[in-house]
Amino acid sequence: MDRRLYCLQKNGVITMTQQNNEQCTKAVGNADEINELLRRYGVKFGIYKNGVFNEQFFPFDPIPRVIPAEDFKSIEKGLVQRVNALNEFLFDIYHEKKIVRDGIIPEDFIYISKGYLAQCEGITPKNKVYSHISGIDLVQAKDGEWYILEDNLRIPSGASYPLIARELTRIAAPQAFQENDIVDNRNYAKLLKETMENANCGGIRAILTPGRYNAAYFEHSYLAEHTGSVLVQNDELFVEDNILYHRTYSGGKTRIGVLYRRIADEYLDPLNFLPESLIGIPNLMEVYRSGNVGIINAPGNGVADDKGIYYFVPKMIKYYLDEEPILHNAPTYLPFYEDDMKYVLDNLEKLVIKDVAEAGGYGVVFGNDLTKEKLEEFRRTIIAEPRRFIAQEVIDFLDLPILDNGETVMRKADLRAFVLTGEITKVWASGLTRFSRNPDSFVVNSSQGGGFKDTWVLSR
Amino acid sequence: MGTISLEHSDRLYWLGRYTERVFTTLKTLQKLYDRTIDNRSGYAEYLGYFGLSDSYGSNRDFFRSFLYDSTNPNSVAYSLERAYDNGIVLREEISTETLSFLQLAKDTLAKSEMSENTRLSLLPLVDQLYAFWGCIADNVYDEEKKNIIYCGKTVERLDLYMRTGYPYKSVKKEFGRLCKRLKNVPENTPFCCNSQYFGEIEDIVGSAEKYSSESSTALVDLEHLFEPMGAAV
Repeated sequence: MDRRLYCLQKNGVITMTQQNNEQCTKAVGNADEINELLRRYGVKFGIYKNGVFNEQFFPFDPIPRVIPAEDFKSIEKGLVQRVNALNEFLFDIYHEKKIVRDGIIPEDFIYISKGYLAQCEGITPKNKVYSHISGIDLVQAKDGEWYILEDNLRIPSGASYPLIARELTRIAAPQAFQENDIVDNRNYAKLLKETMENANCGGIRAILTPGRYNAAYFEHSYLAEHTGSVLVQNDELFVEDNILYHRTYSGGKTRIGVLYRRIADEYLDPLNFLPESLIGIPNLMEVYRSGNVGIINAPGNGVADDKGIYYFVPKMIKYYLDEEPILHNAPTYLPFYEDDMKYVLDNLEKLVIKDVAEAGGYGVVFGNDLTKEKLEEFRRTIIAEPRRFIAQEVIDFLDLPILDNGETVMRKADLRAFVLTGEITKVWASGLTRFSRNPDSFVVNSSQGGGFKDTWVLSR
Repeated sequence: MGTISLEHSDRLYWLGRYTERVFTTLKTLQKLYDRTIDNRSGYAEYLGYFGLSDSYGSNRDFFRSFLYDSTNPNSVAYSLERAYDNGIVLREEISTETLSFLQLAKDTLAKSEMSENTRLSLLPLVDQLYAFWGCIADNVYDEEKKNIIYCGKTVERLDLYMRTGYPYKSVKKEFGRLCKRLKNVPENTPFCCNSQYFGEIEDIVGSAEKYSSESSTALVDLEHLFEPMGAAV
């Protein structure tokens, strides 16, 4: 008897065969039991509300997202292509800027971007890798097509959640893994370690965290544990003779060869960026510039994952790799261009508008949610600040089943794929599938109440 | 990767201290609870060990406070929270598995508060603490780090044994254990003991007679054990 949990539709979309709670529980484990295990292992994320820090457990839904092997092959190829092009772009932008000179990307989009850092001009990281860990957000439309929603090339987070969830679901529902052909995804730490070693300039591996009260602290400590890296805060680090060191409790020092920093560029080095940063390391950029430490991801990557630059990524692929993009962007308009501005103003009520300076699901406005007055007001803002926004068609993306109080209901979900670039670029055969718990919402971010589920990549 | 920061060494030490404080406090309260069944004694003596006055109306209030009240700095709940606070920033040193036993202990204590049979409901907590220590022994490969945790654990046990009137034999045994731990502390680290204070404790604990009259001095010396030389009070 075929006891697989899924069936493949004609459009390539996978649907679950178990439709009720009892069947799902039998097949993939009891949601409460798995969430209890996640609680036990401290799988939390922090959130500040009204200035108060609270830790929340990240709700897990046991019905997995299933990606057929053929689909994954194509996603994998597309992601490798995209990330390689983005790495080429970063090298180019901080050196010759050929893509600007050749008129592929207007200069404005580079220099106005908050992510562009003049301090990174001329720096070439070890092996020319800028984005070592790329978090690429995708959605699948109802016709089965996958679209890229955004690229996260600064400090994409979230890999630890599906990693530990898989460990725990294998305990809670071993039969699901016996009866389904699922690629084992528990190699993330190994991939990350390889990636870190590839960027290592001689010394130990360290993960820099802003501390216990950071939203992603669980992830920082979990990845440090599983990669055998030292978890450090800035006050334990210092620069001496252009080398980065970890200060030991005996008064000694240990050289750091690669720093996987989990703090934003602007806080990294108060002598080069924000002088008021209390979580940075003075002179770190000098050490980095001299090639004495690898920084993961490279400072300055924000210029490539800017929502405005997103529009140009397919052009980058053609420009740098001379290939056709395998994965497509969601149809996007830049009000910066006259034709696009006209289209956006004429069709605002059916588009989704994104503020390029915002992240984490903030600054996203659906035109159809706005009143006539608000639409008018928004039109005026777009005309006044055309570079500040992008507009996208609302993709009718596939809803995924989740268990909600014992009932299977359909909710919006996306997929963050993790692409690691060391010697070569590899895609982790998994990802973070986040879903909205609100039936009317497209926003899946954990900070806004979303949950997550396991992502099964099928082996055949 | 054997590099320990000052912050982490402090956390490791206090992880050991607070987890032991949970364990020994629990053990002592369980014994006291047993005695109160036969009305053989109340809790006044226990309060006296800590120089506390009696603001509790009944045995029940006393036990509830010393077990579950996280605002009472002498309670099991308070110490367990502090142990967890230290543990959570040491995940990569002690492992997720080890840390999970502190989370389980917290859950057990919270459930116990709702239970009608306090002692029975607390039995799993003792098991979880043993499991925690088993995981420390098994999962912390770096002997230097492990020794810092054990130093904290032994100092705390010795402190509580001396404070709460444990028999001399038990105190002497624990002191012997501490001596072994201290021998393994590398030079120039914060857990190198102050030889002046160590010498005084050794002298007092070395003789039953002396201990019976000078245990309070040994207790003060223990508080200053890791102070740098020359910082004597």
